[in-house]
Amino acid sequence: MNKNALTALAGIGVALAAGLVILWAQGYPALPSYAALFSYSLFSKFAIVSTLNKATPLILTGLSAAVGFGSNCVNLGQVGQFLIGAMAVSAFGIVCDLPAPVMIPLSIMAALAAGALWAGIAAWLRQRFNMDEFITTLMLNFIADYFTLYLISGPMWDRATYSPMTKMTGSGSWLPMWDGLSAAFVVACIAFVVTWVMWDRSKLGYEWRAMGQNSVFSRVGGCDNEANFTRAMLMSGALAGLAGGLMIMGGMQHRFVKGMGANYAWDGVMIAIVAANGMLPTGLYALFFAAIQTGAMGMELETAVPSEFALVLQAIIVLFVVASRESTRLLINRAAANLRARAAARTAHGGSHGGSRSSGKEGGERSASGH
Amino acid sequence: MDDHFIEMRSLIKVYPPDTLALDRVDLDIREGEIHSVIGENGAGKSTLMKVLYGMIPTSSGEISFRGRRVRYASPREAVAAGIGMVHQEFMLVPSYTIYENVILGAEPVGRLGALRNAEARRRVRSLIDRYGLNLNIDDRVRDTSVGAQQKVEILKLLYRDVDVLIMDEPTAVLTPQETGELFRRLRDLNAAGKTIIFISHKLDEVLELSDTITVMRRGRRVTTTENRGLGKADLARAMVGRDVVFSVEKPPARCGDVVFEARGLSYVDAGGRQRLDKVSLAVRRGEIVGIAGVEGNGQFELVQLVTGLAPVQSGQVKICGRDVARASVIERRKLMCYVPQDRKASGSAQKMSLTDNSIMTHHRLNQQLESGWRALLSPGKSRRFAQNLVDTFGVLAPSVDAPISSLSGGNQQKVVVGREFLFGADFVLLDQPTRGVDVGSVEFIQREIIRKRGSVGGSAGEGAGVPSAGCLLISADLDELFSLADRILVMHRGRIVADLAPPDTTREEVGEYMLGVREPQTIAPTGAGSGACAGAGACAGAGEGAPAR
Repeated sequence: MNKNALTALAGIGVALAAGLVILWAQGYPALPSYAALFSYSLFSKFAIVSTLNKATPLILTGLSAAVGFGSNCVNLGQVGQFLIGAMAVSAFGIVCDLPAPVMIPLSIMAALAAGALWAGIAAWLRQRFNMDEFITTLMLNFIADYFTLYLISGPMWDRATYSPMTKMTGSGSWLPMWDGLSAAFVVACIAFVVTWVMWDRSKLGYEWRAMGQNSVFSRVGGCDNEANFTRAMLMSGALAGLAGGLMIMGGMQHRFVKGMGANYAWDGVMIAIVAANGMLPTGLYALFFAAIQTGAMGMELETAVPSEFALVLQAIIVLFVVASRESTRLLINRAAANLRARAAARTAHGGSHGGSRSSGKEGGERSASGH
Repeated sequence: MDDHFIEMRSLIKVYPPDTLALDRVDLDIREGEIHSVIGENGAGKSTLMKVLYGMIPTSSGEISFRGRRVRYASPREAVAAGIGMVHQEFMLVPSYTIYENVILGAEPVGRLGALRNAEARRRVRSLIDRYGLNLNIDDRVRDTSVGAQQKVEILKLLYRDVDVLIMDEPTAVLTPQETGELFRRLRDLNAAGKTIIFISHKLDEVLELSDTITVMRRGRRVTTTENRGLGKADLARAMVGRDVVFSVEKPPARCGDVVFEARGLSYVDAGGRQRLDKVSLAVRRGEIVGIAGVEGNGQFELVQLVTGLAPVQSGQVKICGRDVARASVIERRKLMCYVPQDRKASGSAQKMSLTDNSIMTHHRLNQQLESGWRALLSPGKSRRFAQNLVDTFGVLAPSVDAPISSLSGGNQQKVVVGREFLFGADFVLLDQPTRGVDVGSVEFIQREIIRKRGSVGGSAGEGAGVPSAGCLLISADLDELFSLADRILVMHRGRIVADLAPPDTTREEVGEYMLGVREPQTIAPTGAGSGACAGAGACAGAGEGAPAR
């Protein structure tokens, strides 16, 4: 665990250094850019609040991917589950307008259920027709994308606007803000704790992890892999759906707008990969990536480095962290092997000098002495 | 003539990070000899040969062949130089014919890339005739027996004109009869001038076959000796470094009630092949029933049906009197311990910790691992459980939090066996429990199996305290079956063809049944009893003999 954390930190450090070189090579003021990046994401109350708000969907989509991948369910459908979750909350909020204490829990449930349903289709296709969830979840992304686009530009279009979007939801489902920090972050934190307990402490989570590492082992051990696959898919989908739902419930817009969600879903996949499907690392990387994305906008203001640089930096971090995880181990092991071989060779000259050579000519015993 | 043929000097090989597989190994192989290299699993014998064959690089040291220093970068170079190796796992294309397999990679190509088949076929045929291999070159490999496939592997090397044949544990997959044939063939090849390096850990075979014997232990060459006047005990002592007891002490069986019963089990696989054909057998409390058979004769399917990994198509499976034919895996696991065949593929998750690997199945059945809530597991209790397993079964492990892959094969197997034996179930299914495990661990595991069977034969007071179980032991190792089993059932083509009692049978007899050379016995439908238990009286009176539940 400690060793992993060190490797990860080293990977991040090297990646940041590489980013510095890129900035410098492009002719930007490298150090001031970094200073801006972090001062706009961490070093003021406003900066921290923005980072936490940004982290909210990333935590959830990251958890979604981590639960999926860690259980050996290749759920790449976060995009679709996110959109369907958001759509469910929008529709529910437009149709019903009840007081917040009723509306908020119900909206959260709607988001969870909608995401789970969308992932559940893929799980069902796998169980029923043995279709690979890797393909079906990807395909369902397109269906969700065009289906929601149809809704917001057709039946649910708000005619008062000029671009495809729904009406605003009733204010009952709006999450409160405290000094700019949306309560959505608190919901994400609760989801994180629940997921962590499920994953690291529960019998079910143990079975999912075992299935992710070796599905034959878990099956032989008496775990119901089929049911666990479906359960893990539903959980994974529910988390992504919740991420979408919170986008409607939190923030300022409270409506489904064309193009919403942007990269949150794919960032989640990336975060889970960097975090090696660990729950705590997923949470931490989500915060870290949120900081970079938030700070990049400040950096653009201060030093004119395009905010797309955040994408470059993220990509470098992923490459370095993932690569260093395997390669440092390999390098260290190889170095250790060389040392060991050299040590063994040294004892050869000191210890059993001359004795270990057998002539091969005489019959009888040809024994190596010295051992 | 005999010097400077193959000389290895101070070979060192370290597998990353720090497994010293070869520790300053010097070895001379003389031209035209049959040289056996023996040692336990992990002694370095295969590594040494792979280094010679160019499969893996050394860390340091020199190899010379016919007086010239060599370092082969790949097996292809080694073969071109005249050194060939037959691996434990065959490297053949099952859907190709024998002829096609032989020429693959060394095709006789004429102008414009056309195959010059006629000439090559003549050559392959003449090699078969010359060495008496008795193969039909147009048979498809998948239709041939294991013994024949091994001959194809040898033929491949002969076709490439090698002078040195390295055989890596060639008898592991063969029946006694096939082994005898292989030895005759190796002697013929040797007489024709080939040098043969024979890797094995079976002492009898080595003593029978070789001119020279090299013993390796923990990466070192312990001794190289002419095979004259040597005994098994000498070699074993050199191999293990201490005296070895060859037969495990075993009190006579005293059977109790039937704990496992299969009746008329048949199974047809997805390809429409009849894998099991009305198999009936019974295991009683206090006995170990062994199942012998060449791999692929239905043992795999039998295990699948018993454990619930495949659906029972027809027939009955009863554990402790309960019909479990429709029961789920976990329902069955409440009634049985199961040591799966392959610890890497199905017995463990290599990247998970020792703790996570030891609580499998217990996590559902053992409420002591729960923390307050039924749905949650307590990390502390799980670790203590694993620690207890480690202590009880003498597992050598850095910590219960280490991934199980950091343990040696023998210790991993002890974890798997220990995990299963900690269930109190009365029926134990053991599928190759000691495969690929070092001698020390084999001894330990075999003793545990006998303990599980129940030492009712001991003093009365002691016997009553040890609950006895019925064991079904599937093993490809006849030695293991003869030293452990109270009865040996032989499987051939999905049927049980013989029910034999070890003191009254021989390995040869079992081998003949395994090959289907002998007419199947007629076996009582219950499958119980060739009178192997210590006297009918013990069986009949087992009600009192077996400890009360």
